[in-house]
Amino acid sequence: MYSGTIRRRIAAAFAAATAAFAWSGPASAELPHLEMPANLTAVIDFRIVLTNGERSWADGGFGKSRFGGGGDDVDAHAVPATAEIVWHGPLAWNFGGTIAIAAQDDQDQPVDLIEGFVTWRPLPNGETRFSARAGMFWPPVSLEHEGQEWRVADMITPSAINSWIGEEVKVAGVEGSVSHPLAGGRVTGTLGLFGFNDTSGTLLAFRGWALHDQKTGAFSRQALPPLNAFMATVQPQWTTPTLEVDHRIGFYGRVAWQMAAPVMLEVVYYNNRGDPEAFTPMNQWGWDTRFWNVGARIDLGPHTRILAQALTGTTEMGYVENGGIWVDTRYRSAYLRLTQEVGRVALSGRADLFDTRQRGSALTAEDDEEGWALTGALDWRLSGQADLILEYMHLDSQRAARARIGLDADQAQNVVQAAMRLRL
Amino acid sequence: MRRLILTLAFCAAAPAAATDLVVQVQGPGGAPVANAVVTLYPGGRPATLAGERMSFQIAQRDLQFQPFVIAVPVGADVSFPNFDNVRHHVYSFSPVRRFELRLFAREQSRSVHFDRVGIVPIGCNIHDGMIAYVDVVDTGFAAVTDRAGRAAFTGVAAGGLTARVWHPWLRAPGNQTEMRWTLPGSGRIAQTVSVALRPPPRTPTY
Repeated sequence: MYSGTIRRRIAAAFAAATAAFAWSGPASAELPHLEMPANLTAVIDFRIVLTNGERSWADGGFGKSRFGGGGDDVDAHAVPATAEIVWHGPLAWNFGGTIAIAAQDDQDQPVDLIEGFVTWRPLPNGETRFSARAGMFWPPVSLEHEGQEWRVADMITPSAINSWIGEEVKVAGVEGSVSHPLAGGRVTGTLGLFGFNDTSGTLLAFRGWALHDQKTGAFSRQALPPLNAFMATVQPQWTTPTLEVDHRIGFYGRVAWQMAAPVMLEVVYYNNRGDPEAFTPMNQWGWDTRFWNVGARIDLGPHTRILAQALTGTTEMGYVENGGIWVDTRYRSAYLRLTQEVGRVALSGRADLFDTRQRGSALTAEDDEEGWALTGALDWRLSGQADLILEYMHLDSQRAARARIGLDADQAQNVVQAAMRLRL
Repeated sequence: MRRLILTLAFCAAAPAAATDLVVQVQGPGGAPVANAVVTLYPGGRPATLAGERMSFQIAQRDLQFQPFVIAVPVGADVSFPNFDNVRHHVYSFSPVRRFELRLFAREQSRSVHFDRVGIVPIGCNIHDGMIAYVDVVDTGFAAVTDRAGRAAFTGVAAGGLTARVWHPWLRAPGNQTEMRWTLPGSGRIAQTVSVALRPPPRTPTY
């Protein structure tokens, strides 16, 4: 049953959504074009969510969605999910800059820095192109995100892989790229050197995979689910994803080949070269995290595309005791997504598989997990500035550690979301 | 209007026995191919270029170059006016004509002189998605196909004719295909050219 408060919130949500629609006036009229100052983009994402199942990870539970339910009953939320402002513009003829700040419903800080970097693009002197950037940004792993505001295209919720990239794989450093034509296409090589990503892996080890569109802020903490008795003595109930702990430089490399055929293939290797024994006075640890990612984008036609990624890696933390390091987690995930555009509507379907295996002496098989998700979305492009996205996601996963809060190891969850996304 | 200038302005004076020719460029299934450059060489030789000076333009509007493809006679000047509120850094690294223009917002315009024959791809260093092509030609008969895939010529000399079709994504060596036709001495005839196009390159997201 919905509570009176929730009902009022939903009523308010629909009123706001209707007001947004009302801009359009008669059906034939175009939505008015709202002008932002040059180089500024504002993204407002208003959400209505219906969900069942367990408490969300964002509220300190084991739930894999951004929004949790209250057990078996359907729970409803009307949420101003995200308000983000992005500045992107030239600083000089060969230099550009990007700064993004956001307020997100479940973000630790009211407003936080999402990305901030300077890009250098010298004028090409031939077929070879160079570029570089410095600052805080996401390594180029996700095939689902696009644009200066790094938003998920065509859907609300990114895959398990790119949800994790969004929450725990953001670096501060420098990155250089070189691209050159190859066999009618173009091959691009990228190398990044970075710091401030030493806690990467904490969420994957303690919580496991999740599917959500929250993006970690530079100064925000992320909640962790209840830890086992030993880990609770060495790790607080939260993690700070953007943090330098061990003063070691990490690196990543990427090779992407856009073929003459409409196929793009990429391989990424990431290694933060963390010192698993380093920790801060707040017990944030230097996780030694490394992974391989392979991805493909295949355009079957101008309106049909397939995206696929697979990622496998390990993360280690703590001291060697009782024959092994405290935490040694192997994690794997893959997804396959199909998007078909029909007029102003994009229909997408995605299947995710994921698992983690604990091989450490302190974090054990109790925290193993495996699971899958099916997601379907309809993105209706109302105008160049407004999208109405409807999405249904079914999550199914198994993790014995849920017993710590009295839950069965097996949990299933259904999440229905309607997002009004305005991009001004 | 600009299309008209492109199509007709640098045609030579019609010879005594001449034909009006419409070239229809189409892709698989008969779909019209716009933005293809059709050049004609009567008797296999370039037609004389008109002596008068003509003006050509590639505008920057809504973060796009307009037009996408332009054909100009060798020796032409092309202006690059910026109608956007943002600045553009227009360049080409083509060996045919290497240049760089820094265009501040709104109404600023600069010109580039094209004195060699060939294809000049043009980009904007700030906006990856902006691409245009200048085809610098040595014949008086040159036209860019319209949305219907048509290029029309008047007063083409009768007899043997070499025709070339170039498109940035045409699936052929040099993105160009060449035909030989024989034209009658009068009237209006149509020729259809079937081509295959590669998919347009995707703009990198980072």
